[in-house]
Amino acid sequence: MSNILQPKKVKSQSRNRRISLGVTYAILGVMSIIWLIPLIWIVLSAFRCEYQPDGTFIGTVTSNFFPRQFGLENFTKLFSGTYYGVDNAFLKWMLNTLIIAVIDCLISTFLVLSVAYCMSKLKFRLRKPFMNMAMIIGLFPGFMSMIAIYFLLKSIGLTGNPQHPEYSVIGLVLAYSAGAGLGFQIAKGFFDVIPNALVESAKLDGCTNFKIFRRIILPLAKPIIIYQALMSFTGPWMDFIFAKVIIGADNARFWTVSVGLYSMLFGTHPDTNLFTQFAAGCVIVAIPIVTLFMFLQKYYVEGVTAGAVKG
Amino acid sequence: MANLKLSHIYKVYENGHKAVNDFSIDIADREFIVFVGPSGCGKSTTLRMIAGLETITAGDLLIGDTLVNDMEPKDRDIAMVFQSYALYPHMTVYENMAFGLRNRKMPEKEIKERVMKAAKILDIEDYLDRKPKAMSGGQRQRVALGRALVRDPKVFLLDEPLSNLDAKLRAAMRTEITALHKSLNTTFIYVTHDQVEAMTMGTRIVVMKLGYVQQIDTPMNLYNEPYNKFVAGFIGTPQMNFFDTTLKREGDKVIVIFQNGDKVAVPYEDVSKIHNRYLGGDVKVTFGIRPEHISVSKEGKGLKFIVTNVERLGSDSIIYGKLGDHLGEFTMKDEGNMIVVKMNDSSNIEVGDVLYAEPNPSKVHFFDAETEITLMSKIPPFNTIEAAVSGDSMTALGKKVALPAAFKAAIGGADRFELVVPPRAIVPGNDFELKVARIEKVDNDRLAYLRNGDSYVFALVGESVREGDTYQFAFENEKLNVTVGGEEVLKAIDDEVSLLGTFSKKELKEGHDRVLHFFYDIGEYSLETSPEQGYKINSIDGDNCYKYTYRYAVNRNAVRIVGDDEPGLNGRVVAFCDYGNIRFAKVEADGQEFLITVDPKFAADKVRVAFNSEDVSVYSTRIDMKIC
Repeated sequence: MSNILQPKKVKSQSRNRRISLGVTYAILGVMSIIWLIPLIWIVLSAFRCEYQPDGTFIGTVTSNFFPRQFGLENFTKLFSGTYYGVDNAFLKWMLNTLIIAVIDCLISTFLVLSVAYCMSKLKFRLRKPFMNMAMIIGLFPGFMSMIAIYFLLKSIGLTGNPQHPEYSVIGLVLAYSAGAGLGFQIAKGFFDVIPNALVESAKLDGCTNFKIFRRIILPLAKPIIIYQALMSFTGPWMDFIFAKVIIGADNARFWTVSVGLYSMLFGTHPDTNLFTQFAAGCVIVAIPIVTLFMFLQKYYVEGVTAGAVKG
Repeated sequence: MANLKLSHIYKVYENGHKAVNDFSIDIADREFIVFVGPSGCGKSTTLRMIAGLETITAGDLLIGDTLVNDMEPKDRDIAMVFQSYALYPHMTVYENMAFGLRNRKMPEKEIKERVMKAAKILDIEDYLDRKPKAMSGGQRQRVALGRALVRDPKVFLLDEPLSNLDAKLRAAMRTEITALHKSLNTTFIYVTHDQVEAMTMGTRIVVMKLGYVQQIDTPMNLYNEPYNKFVAGFIGTPQMNFFDTTLKREGDKVIVIFQNGDKVAVPYEDVSKIHNRYLGGDVKVTFGIRPEHISVSKEGKGLKFIVTNVERLGSDSIIYGKLGDHLGEFTMKDEGNMIVVKMNDSSNIEVGDVLYAEPNPSKVHFFDAETEITLMSKIPPFNTIEAAVSGDSMTALGKKVALPAAFKAAIGGADRFELVVPPRAIVPGNDFELKVARIEKVDNDRLAYLRNGDSYVFALVGESVREGDTYQFAFENEKLNVTVGGEEVLKAIDDEVSLLGTFSKKELKEGHDRVLHFFYDIGEYSLETSPEQGYKINSIDGDNCYKYTYRYAVNRNAVRIVGDDEPGLNGRVVAFCDYGNIRFAKVEADGQEFLITVDPKFAADKVRVAFNSEDVSVYSTRIDMKIC
């Protein structure tokens, strides 16, 4: 037996690290495939351009994942099509949604930032009870209040108004933006990081609270303004329930895209041959939101993480 | 430019925490006042109350002659420099400085002139187009000062403005701010926790602790004559050495006896203001001596100590040492025997050396071990004078005078007792006489050392009294405490009558209007007060003020006896207190007892008293606070 001790074999740190990374990437890869497949499927379906041997267009769900033929026919049909008796319906739905989203974005952003400023920088007696109440209300899903909101709007003629169906759009804007102020927490977190001394200094400089908000706080709150505007803008594009209830099933002219697209497949006159056009609609709807997120993601991250760490 | 008056200012939070207690100060025009104290002492809160950024719970704040308690910060004509500078990050330096002026709708031309002038004074002309983030800490500090400067305010408020700067820059800015104060000739109020800043910058310093003012005085007075152990320890670097000792008078010397048995002798003349009761060797006293007032030698004189550390700072050195125990051994047991000495030349001193420390006798301080208040107040709080009883007379200070009936009743059958006499209770008269050994000017008073055997009686005297004179005087008997064998049997009568009562309002119709009237209610006596006072009480306690009990304090001289046709408080005279020079009737009314001054012939058994509402001070009974 040799007297020389053999060094014990140890796994190198880099090897351990490689194995750990390999496992992590494998799990992430599988998860991303699971998440991406529906997305890819919708995009592929949007560009599917297949015909029956008799020359009729196949717009239904097919068993083949990858299209045998690609084309833009779904998009041209979507933009020029008449749905529920409305000519160029999709364009009108897009326009409705855009109008609602822009107005909601303006009102909601102003309300959220104002409430957040009050909660963060003003000291008043019911501040804490209000914040607790807002948090508790926020724990309930918004659609719980749907029926109450519907009847409130109906009582003032802003929904289900046979003479003025277009008033439902105003009703929908109100429903989206009226309660926006309760979602002030993230913006408050951002404002909390802005030193109180700035507000106090502005007070000594002769500013009113509104002037402090406008001249001192808002210029420093660009990330949170963009974050909040983005959130308010995307809300109406994605919401289905409120839009469906408040606009109503009969006013196809004033539907938003989500209600319109849904109705193409599951509405009162469903047509299974519209699936690929539905998919094209989904892609079109995603474009403005994805574009906004891509360009503003820097501010979005700053906004959403504001207040997480002391700056 | 303006003077400020803070009168009984309190800040009490909703949870009952008192951040500032009974803060009163008169700040003269062009003074540089420094609020100093450790964290949480209430100095910044006080400053913020002056600025209007915090509400004042109780008390009056006057800037110039205007009561500003409820005035908006922007209308107070003050400017504030914040610890964090609070520069608007999205504005340039110029815009930062001009912002306040633009809000006041000042013409752009004048704004430019003011900004350029301030920029020139502060040497930031080259940075006017920069944003704050592109500037160093010192430059930002100048901009913050500039922003205050352009406002040309009556009062400058500075809240720890240098605490974010490094030591070198801090020293430079300290000098600049002092120079700025001199050139601007404006009132400055400066908050800091750094006693060096306080000592070097302030014309007067307010030392605070836990919301209470400890002492208000000039820097050198704080250093030389600290009111208590806290001030003594807080002012001065390194801080004052404190030792537990007892004092024993031996002839013309007072021997300071340390716990380990070491002794240091101090001439009695240097510590003659210490009351005799501390000089018997049986009362614990804290002995204080500053490190720079100790001389060190290697010879056997003074306090023996072993050197544990030497810090050589270049110009001077700090020697840390430890006194020995009662056997002269140096152990690590007792931490209460550390000694710090500051000296110029420490070249021949090393760790482990055994040295002797000799305190400078004229620089020693003594504090009561329990209250921590100095035993060498500028004006001693009281003299104790022994008196012997013979019939209806008493003999004190070698003179036989009439024994007041109140004293006689209080001492019972005792044949000897002590009079506790505050210097202010000694007034010119013919009862006693003593020779004036010395006269000392104390602020606006003249303190006479009246020779009484081998000690002194302290009295406040007028300008005509000179050293060497024989001063003839009497006591204001009602202001004396009487003790028998050290036990208090009669308390001095204070200047106020205190009565508990409630507060109410009535809405009365006056012409077409309904007007609120407010009343102090003591028993059946309902005394109407001014609407200002009424609203003040209401603003402090809210509508609960009509349920709470208040203490109404009235100067005794303002209480008058009235006839039945005038509103008043009916009472029963239960006793008379005759002090010889003055006579009181003890009145019982509404279940409360109080004394009123009556003339020598007054003998009624019922009395009706009244006073004016403007003579009444109102105190909360829930928390110790003067409301108005």
